[in-house]
Amino acid sequence: MEQTTSGAPDATASPTLTSPPPQGPAVSVRGLRRRYGSGSTAFEAVRGIDLEVARGSIHALLGVNGAGKTSTLEVIEGLATATAGEVRVLGLDPVRQRREVRRRTGVLLQRSGFVGDLTVRETLEMWTATVTDPRPVDELLELLSLTAKADTRMRGLSGGEHRRVDLACSLSGRPELVMLDEPTTGLDPESRRQVWRLVRELREQGATVLVTTHYLDEAESLADKVSIMRAGEIAVEGTVAEIVAAAPSQISFRTPAEQLSLPTGEVSTDGELTVLRVDDLQPALTELLVTARQGGVRLDRLSARTASLESVFLDLAGDHHEKPETHDEPQETSR
Amino acid sequence: MSVTTTTTSAAPARDGWRTSLRRTVLLGRVNWTLMVRNRTTLLYAFLMPALPLVLLVVGTRGGQNANIDPSAGAIAAALLFALVFPGYYNLLSMFVTRRDELVLKRLRTGEVRDGELITSMALPGAAVTLVVAVASVVLAAVLGLPMPTNPLLLLLAVLLAIGTFAAFAIWTASWTQTAESAQLTSAPVIALSTVGFVVPLLPSAAQPWVELTPGAAVELLLRISWFGQERAGSEPGMSFVETWVEAAPSLGALAVWALLAVVVARRSLRWEPRA
Ligand SMILES: Nc1ncnc2c1ncn2[C@@H]1O[C@H](COP(=O)(O)OP(=O)(O)O)[C@@H](O)[C@H]1O
Ligand SMILES: [Mg+2]
Repeated sequence: MEQTTSGAPDATASPTLTSPPPQGPAVSVRGLRRRYGSGSTAFEAVRGIDLEVARGSIHALLGVNGAGKTSTLEVIEGLATATAGEVRVLGLDPVRQRREVRRRTGVLLQRSGFVGDLTVRETLEMWTATVTDPRPVDELLELLSLTAKADTRMRGLSGGEHRRVDLACSLSGRPELVMLDEPTTGLDPESRRQVWRLVRELREQGATVLVTTHYLDEAESLADKVSIMRAGEIAVEGTVAEIVAAAPSQISFRTPAEQLSLPTGEVSTDGELTVLRVDDLQPALTELLVTARQGGVRLDRLSARTASLESVFLDLAGDHHEKPETHDEPQETSR
Repeated sequence: MSVTTTTTSAAPARDGWRTSLRRTVLLGRVNWTLMVRNRTTLLYAFLMPALPLVLLVVGTRGGQNANIDPSAGAIAAALLFALVFPGYYNLLSMFVTRRDELVLKRLRTGEVRDGELITSMALPGAAVTLVVAVASVVLAAVLGLPMPTNPLLLLLAVLLAIGTFAAFAIWTASWTQTAESAQLTSAPVIALSTVGFVVPLLPSAAQPWVELTPGAAVELLLRISWFGQERAGSEPGMSFVETWVEAAPSLGALAVWALLAVVVARRSLRWEPRA
């Protein structure tokens, strides 16, 4: 059993679609588009995405509901065909080389079902029996804390337990690449942490994980690299540190802007607040304070904060009014 | 707890027919368990085909009946009920329910192939039909009825019919929206399968056409292969060779129906519920 190098992702790996595995990226996407429907009702959910997932890394697709995460992932998984663009998974075509890809990947759908009349153990036995190199069922039960539920029928499980069985199936074939669509939505905080631990362990073992989420904390604590999706496009991409560093810091106060000569930056108003966005917080704030003192102006409700993943995310979500959130999100996976 | 993920150096996926067969049989066994576990499907699967066989026993015991027509009719009915209920309807409702509930979508993310999935769901019905066929032969022996003239043809006819009715199920599934609506959408196929029983009642001009319906074809094939009868009411006693010749149109009809169903299903079959 050969293991790939684990640990930090190789952010500098040069993206080439033609290079053979195992050297190339785990997932490589170029100009991906996906349209639903046709004619006047057509809707383009994915609008030209480029994506590169380095081997051995955890890569998060972060975005609000309806951003196009699932639509993108389904193409990468080979479950749906793209309207345009090119997709390579482990250097292979996920549709034409489906068999090989399936053998080496594990998929967790955003919503999926199981036969209610089978027990947890029977469900996992069935799954592992369809897999080339299966993990023992008892190991899977243990891994997802389902041992006590082994003989419970699927229809008798809670949403969170159901999701854990689902995850067990995804991992049953010892995949090199795991694609998880909102793995923790609907889970209690304890189970969420457990899933995070599991995902990190996968990476330690050399697997690559592509995960979608709308939880900031999930992306922040798990991902080596984050791609923030908005309206079918990738708006921002990088490590959390890179994303935060590239985003402007924000200074706000209630005093009208006209009373001051402001340091260079983007000025806007938010209700009665004046909001100043600056690239470098410290000199800008110093300049502002000096100006205020010289002019004898009091800066009411002054606040200053550096960018965070949250502020970047909210800014992006706020920018976008084209398609409001209409996608209703199931809180529990269906059976 | 620890995860062990390995990156196996890409051994080409020698996904031979053995693996495929193993997966199919395994999934088929699970589907059998599920059919037996559910009271409704269990009842449909075994009670429906058993009824005509009970009639066969009761009817034959009455007197030494030289006329084999009622026996042939009862055995044909048992086979058809097995083909229609566990074979066709159970497969249809299983497919549609699992599609609705995203079970099929989930399974298709794994290594199982579409053909394996469908075959495995058809296996319980196929097993019941084969059991009914074997039980009929055993019953006939016990009751002193003639043994099949051409067992090979009989087996071929049963296997072909199993395939045809399974194909009908997938065809029906391709235009059935939900599990509930399957009760309606199955009506045409059920009608097509039972029209055979009214053949003798129809005007003679219509009969050759009706004989090409799947149900009538199955009945005719049974009469030919087992009793060497040209059709209901005719004298038995065809030779082995004659049975093959006589059976050709009905075999052809079943094959054409199956082909038609597969072609239509391939075009419009969905694996996920409509968005
Ligand atoms: N089958 C479909 N038909 C039409 N529109 C769809 C379909 N599935 C998703 N959409 C739309 O595509 C957009 C992206 O959806 P999705 O990929 O599910 O987003 P996310 O996973 O980020 O929540 C949404 O606006 C959604 O309403
Ligand atoms: Mg989604």
